[in-house]
Amino acid sequence: MEHSSPSSPELSRRQWLLGSAGAALLASAAPSAQAAKLKTQAHIVIVGSGLGGLAVANRLIAMLDGAKITLIDSKREHNYQPGYTLVATGVWPVSKVRDRNADFVPSGVNWVQEMAAEFDPANNAVVTATGQRIPYDYLVVAMGTHQDWSLIEGMDVGAIGQKGLTSVYPSPQAAQATWTSMDAFRKKGGNAVLTLPATPLKCAGAPLKMTFMLRDRLAQSGTLDKSKVTFYSALGNVFGVKTVNDNVLSRWRDLGIAVETTQKLQAIDIGAQSARFVTPEGVTSDVPYDFIHVVPPMRAPDAIKNSDLAWKEGPFAAGGWLEVDKASLQHRRYKNVFGIGDINGTPRGKTAATVKKSAPIVAQHLVDVIAGREPGQKFDGYTSCPLIVKEGSAMLIEFDYEGRLTPSLPMIEPLQASYLAWLMKYRLLKPAYMATLKGRV
Amino acid sequence: MYEIWLAMNIVYEIALDLWPALLPLLLVWLAVLLINRQRLGKVAPSTLLAVVAMVGLVAVLALPSLTKSSLADMGYWVDWAFLLAMAVGFGVAAAALLWPVLAMRPSR
Repeated sequence: MEHSSPSSPELSRRQWLLGSAGAALLASAAPSAQAAKLKTQAHIVIVGSGLGGLAVANRLIAMLDGAKITLIDSKREHNYQPGYTLVATGVWPVSKVRDRNADFVPSGVNWVQEMAAEFDPANNAVVTATGQRIPYDYLVVAMGTHQDWSLIEGMDVGAIGQKGLTSVYPSPQAAQATWTSMDAFRKKGGNAVLTLPATPLKCAGAPLKMTFMLRDRLAQSGTLDKSKVTFYSALGNVFGVKTVNDNVLSRWRDLGIAVETTQKLQAIDIGAQSARFVTPEGVTSDVPYDFIHVVPPMRAPDAIKNSDLAWKEGPFAAGGWLEVDKASLQHRRYKNVFGIGDINGTPRGKTAATVKKSAPIVAQHLVDVIAGREPGQKFDGYTSCPLIVKEGSAMLIEFDYEGRLTPSLPMIEPLQASYLAWLMKYRLLKPAYMATLKGRV
Repeated sequence: MYEIWLAMNIVYEIALDLWPALLPLLLVWLAVLLINRQRLGKVAPSTLLAVVAMVGLVAVLALPSLTKSSLADMGYWVDWAFLLAMAVGFGVAAAALLWPVLAMRPSR
């Protein structure tokens, strides 16, 4: 099934407003609008309609004249995933993370509402789930991650919200169900278990935020003294950036949050409310819980993992992540292919902030390649995590590929818990996300 | 430069969510402003400054709790500077809104 979007017979509120004077003013001032459009008849296929795919689509529409752009994704709902932790901890209603993709797909883009099932980069083609073969001249892969719940024996995503089982990751509904469970748990307290797998994660700060917020909710409810909160990490740490890791562990010590390292969640008995952890040496332990927050192991979706676009060796091969050069985000072997967002096999940086910083680079590099130029910009791996430490306070942590802290504004203290960082998370980052989605920032 | 551009876009996106309330308010304000345009100069600057100060003070006290935080969560000087900047912004906006209304007061 395909159609040119937007297909809605009525103009949405946002579309109406985007046609307004304010939008026109912003659009005319946008950096991408200041350069002349490149004339081309190239066919560009973008696979994935999350933040990365749509941000690049909106930018390419503004940068190219005559290109045919096809977007492949069956998702009709657009989710503001950075808001899931706010939903799951009772700060936001779930409606704040749910929008329609049709409102954001730019006019002139051909939207094929199917999932990509196979990639044939040697022949420049994508095959959809129904077998439709879509050739391309240039490809942008923006498929995100696959949450591999099957690696946790006994796990049932449908049971999230029941018997103390929670996870912020799968969907808005799961985030909402997580808050329902957390709200019930905090009223009586008990044994809380929070987990972290060993794979690369999207928003690797989310498990930490859930831990901080759970502890805060218990304190607010007066049940902290009846509770034990333990964080089980499959790694030797809880966060990949050492200074942040050390800071979080220090805060947790002060807050009475226990940490167990090199303990991977192997299995869960939802009915008996018991989790089994295993060490690298194979020693298992069964931990009873009243509340558990489960973080799934993640990898690339099968369509990429099983294709020639995936890394074949090195640290990103096991997860089947997209083999891109970390500076240019261009595929290392197929030069007409680029990656954006969580799918990229690059160090760190599976966040919306990474997309905000890298979407302009990917779009520019794609235009450069179409024009016969070498991609010239270098992406430093910028990512950001407003790390909530309690309701009303957060740390604004920004860092690069090397794990160096890189605050956007010099006066920001990354490891200082602050109201400003909280306000950004609570009120300012979704508008920034929307501006990124529309290709303006 | 990029941060300024980003801030403009954030304000614009917030306004998109608020426009059903902002638009009627703006139209009423414009109408009152036009009706009283000859009398705007009669409003003393000290009166407008008092509005800025009062609304700003209320904003300092209210903004943290309206955003699910508190004054106790002000971590360092950047928090206070940002809060004061927002409060002054609200104060100036309130003074601008009230200016034509204040001009409607009968002269003493």
